[in-house]
Formats: sequence, structure tokens, C-alpha cells
Amino acid sequence: MVDHRNDKFSRARTLVLLFLVLAVMALPLLLSQRYLFRVLINIFFFAALGSAWNIIGGYAGQLSLGHAAFVALGAYTTGLLMLHYNVPPWAGVLPGVILTAVVAYFLGKLVLRLRGPYLALSTLAFGEIVRILMLHFKGVTGGPLGLTIPFTGRNVWRLQFATEHMNYGISFGLLVLCIFVSWRIYNSRMGYYLQAIKENQEAAESLGIPLARTKNLALVISAILTSVLGGFYMIFMTYIDPYAVAGLHLSIEIILVAIIGGVGTVWGPVIGACIVVPLMEMSNFVLGGGRTGASMLIYAVILIIVVLFTPRGLIALVPTLEQYRSE
Amino acid sequence: MGMEVEIFIQAVVNGIMIGGVYALIAVGLTMIFGVMNVVNFAHGEFVMLGMFATYLTHSLLGLDPNLSIIITVPIMFGLGVIVQRTLIARVVGLPDESQILLTLGISVLLINLTLLIMGADPHSIKTSYKFSSIQIGPILVMLPRFIAFSVAMVASVILWLFLSRTEIGRGLRAVAEKPEVAILMGINPQKMHRVAFGIGVALAGVAGTVVTPFRYIYPNVGQSYVLIAFVVVVLGGMGNIPGAIVGALVIGVTESLSAQYVALDLAMLGPFILFVLVLLFKPTGIIGKGKAY
Repeated sequence: MVDHRNDKFSRARTLVLLFLVLAVMALPLLLSQRYLFRVLINIFFFAALGSAWNIIGGYAGQLSLGHAAFVALGAYTTGLLMLHYNVPPWAGVLPGVILTAVVAYFLGKLVLRLRGPYLALSTLAFGEIVRILMLHFKGVTGGPLGLTIPFTGRNVWRLQFATEHMNYGISFGLLVLCIFVSWRIYNSRMGYYLQAIKENQEAAESLGIPLARTKNLALVISAILTSVLGGFYMIFMTYIDPYAVAGLHLSIEIILVAIIGGVGTVWGPVIGACIVVPLMEMSNFVLGGGRTGASMLIYAVILIIVVLFTPRGLIALVPTLEQYRSE
Repeated sequence: MGMEVEIFIQAVVNGIMIGGVYALIAVGLTMIFGVMNVVNFAHGEFVMLGMFATYLTHSLLGLDPNLSIIITVPIMFGLGVIVQRTLIARVVGLPDESQILLTLGISVLLINLTLLIMGADPHSIKTSYKFSSIQIGPILVMLPRFIAFSVAMVASVILWLFLSRTEIGRGLRAVAEKPEVAILMGINPQKMHRVAFGIGVALAGVAGTVVTPFRYIYPNVGQSYVLIAFVVVVLGGMGNIPGAIVGALVIGVTESLSAQYVALDLAMLGPFILFVLVLLFKPTGIIGKGKAY
């Protein structure tokens, strides 16, 4: 039997979403300050990174502490192709994606059979290996000095713009892409497989769910999205170095966004980024202390509170429409 | 003895010296895992706090850094007990993710709190024996590193005596091996958890103290140590104390040989590759027990 109430409900939700998308698109008209654009772009980026991580780390509960390595692979491939071969970044993202997919595939083959702390530790070691190699091969990566893409004036082909409007649009588009992929997976057969794996691997396996293949596919999809984001991060920032894009702190920040918002839910990472990024910016503004320091301190306190008191994330505090209707 | 052989032996000796310090860090980490089944991602930050505690006692009281142990050990033990009581105790027995995320949160908190208070600039401690060395045949051992190694070994022996000869030590082992039986024997597991975490943090603090004469002191320094300690703990088998000591020496030597024969900035690559290999082929550790799959 078709549930018409549910039908109407999902239509209402679609309308709300549509409204939000339009509001986001209209926002640039009201904003004049470059700084505010940067903050919004950061929110989109971290929400997108959190959504990508969530596919393997949240839905499947496979805690990866090495996602910064995928950001770095995407960012460096795109950046190096642009710098040395003048490949426009929107095309340079593709080789980055292929490289990341191959690396993620073999990483998954190796480590995804490990559990809990062992998986966390081996992905952490993977991230560190990537960072150490990037620091070492100075001839290719520029080592600790990093890569700088010179600004050659407004150039649509190279995705270089004088104002932040286009960057804003692109990063919002990337966020929509990540949420869409994440949402499709969540509601697909694969999504159910991943949730079953998270709940109980033995039970999932005995039900005939192909454990290794499902987990590995989730990791590769997650890594591909992360790599695309890395490629565009390179364009927006025009500068990257191994510390900024391959450091453990970036992996942790990605996870925090997802965990604080609500791990394993489609909208959790978005909520997490909307709360965490402005909070970090505000604390940096008020307390100074640079990127680390004050803002990361607040980050850590929120994380500890969330883990101890609302392990399902802040999204669990938002009463859902379903709950309203049942009352 | 040929030059090549001398260089090799020198590198091995250097590796063993720093391996002793890694042993101190890893023993605490593995004991916390053994007794409480918690992987402490904040362990490196306790090494860092030990370094800063030593730095402060040295600059405020003029105490020799190695002697500051008498002050830093009780402080670090107390800190460990407080952290366990207020935070860690709430996630014992919960899924791995909760424990990993909580201890990661504590790690980020401690790093950035220190950053706010002490600043990001590296500090160092000057001692009269900073550049002294002991000559054994053709092999040269830097005195501060030799002291660090010796203190680490003495601390390990004291820990071993404590675990095997005292009632609390036996209680700790009982909780690690068979918690249900331990409770029936009248042992309070919560108390043992506090003792285990306190000792683990104190040992990390001692490691922090003994490296101050030859290492820079800055808020992020713990991260490199915690990674090594994880490698060591997995290598020795999670929860296995003798395994951690052997693993630490193996990793110290691997790191030293990588630096000598591959490249200085790739020193850490050797241990990480060894780590991945161990996880893949013998995830229960070289001589350990445990379950990784």
C-alpha cells in the first residue's frame, strides 16, 4: 500500500531542500566581504570532505585516520599538472582521481580486513607514509616548501578568478555532488550492506554480504570524492604543502566534522561543518592564536562532549519530522 | 674492524639507545590496552607534558632535567588518574570508535592547550653534559642518550618488580587476564584501571623527561612519539609488556638504520613499513597474543 502521508512528507522535504539551495545561491548577492566568502567556502569544503569520509567511516564504521592522504594525492596531482604541463585544473582532477582510486583500492585490499584500533592505526600509518614521501621527494613535490600556483590574472580556463563568486559556486557544487553520492549510497542496497557491516560483521557475512568487496568499494568511492575535493582545494588556496594537505590534523578535522554533526547520517557532516567552521573562525577572530591553538581547543572540547554525551552527533538533538508526527 | 662495520655497529647502538626510550612509552601504552582494553591515542601528549613539566622545573627551580623525575612522576601519575576518572572511565567497554575518538579529542585538547599557554616555539634545555660522550672501542655513545636509556631500563625493571611482587601489581595482571575472575577475587577493576592509566601516563612522563637534554620541546612533539609507540605495541603484541620492550628496541634500530642507509628524512619510513608488514602477516605481534581481525 502506498503511504500518501509519506509521499507528501517527502515532497515537503524536497521543497525545503530546494529553498535552501536557492538561498545558498542567492547569498553571494548579499555578501560583500571576501572574508565571509572564505568562511562559507570552508564550510562547503569541510561538509563535503566529511560526507565523503562518512561513506566508509560512518556508514560502514571503518574508522579511517588517513583521509588527508587522499586530499594530498588529488591536490598534488592537479597542482603539478597545472604547474608543469599547463593542464587546466578541471581536467587535472581526473588523473588525480585515477591515481587515488588505485591507491585506495590497494590500501583497502591490505587493511580493510583489520578491525577497530588496528584499522585506525594502519590508515594512520598510511597517511604518515604519504606525508613522509611527499616531504622527501623534493624534486617532484617541492618538499616542505610546497607548491604555489601563480595567479596569472583572471582566466576561466585555469579556474582563476578575481573574486570569490565562482569559487563559491564551484565549492557549493562539489558539496551537492558529495551529498548526492552519499545520499544515493545510503538509500541503496550497498548502503544497507555497509550498515549491516557496521552493526555486526560476522552476521553480515553470514547473510551473504560480500564483506571485502563492499568495504573496498566504499573506500574507493570515498577516496575518489576526497581526491576531487583536494584538487579544487589546490585551486582555491593556490598554495599547498605536505603539512597542510597530508597532515594528521587534517584527517582528524575531517573526522571531527562528521562525528560532531552525526556519524553515519547523510546530513550529519553538513551540520557538523556549519557548526564547527564558523566556531573556529570566530575563536580565531576573538582569541587570535592562528589556525591551531584556540580554535582546535574548542574543536576538541566539542568532540569530547559529543563522544561522551551524544555519541550519535548533534543531529540527534534535532527533533525529526517523523518524531513530531508520531506525537 | 672495517669502517663499514663500525658505522653499522654505531647505528645499531644509537638505535638501541633511543629504543629504550620508545620502550618506556610503549610499555605504558600496552599496559593501558592490556588492563582496560583502551587504545590511548593521547599517549604521545603525555610524553609532551612530561617534557614541558621537566622544562618548567628546570627553568623555575634550576633542577637537572634528569633529576626532575622526582617531581614529574607523581604529577603525571596524578594527572593520569584524573583523566581516567573523569573521561576514560566513561568509555571503557564501549565500541572502539568511542574510545579512539575520545582519546583523539584528549590529544587535540592537550596539544592546543599547551600551544595557547606555552606558544609554538621550540624550547631546549642546556646541560653541562649535553655533548659529553662515552667511548667504547670505536663506538661513541652520547651521554644524555645513555642516561635516557639507563633510566628507561631501570624504570622497566621497577615496573616488572611492581607487577610481579606487589598485591596491586598482581591485581593489575588479574584484571588484564581474566576480569570476571578478578572481580570474584575481590579486586576492584575501576581502581586497577586508574592505577594502570596513572602508571602508563607516569611512564610516558618519564620518557618525556629523559629526552629533554637532547630533543626540542614543543606542543606537537608527542605525535611522532605516539606513532612509534603504536608501531612498537603492535609489533610486540597488544597488551604484551615484554613484547613492547623487544619491539621498541627493534623499532629503534630500524629507525636508526633507515636514517643511516636510506635517507635521514626517511628514518620513520622503515618503522612504518615494518608496522604495515606486521599488521598484514602477523597482526598478533612477533611474540604476542591478541586479535586483530
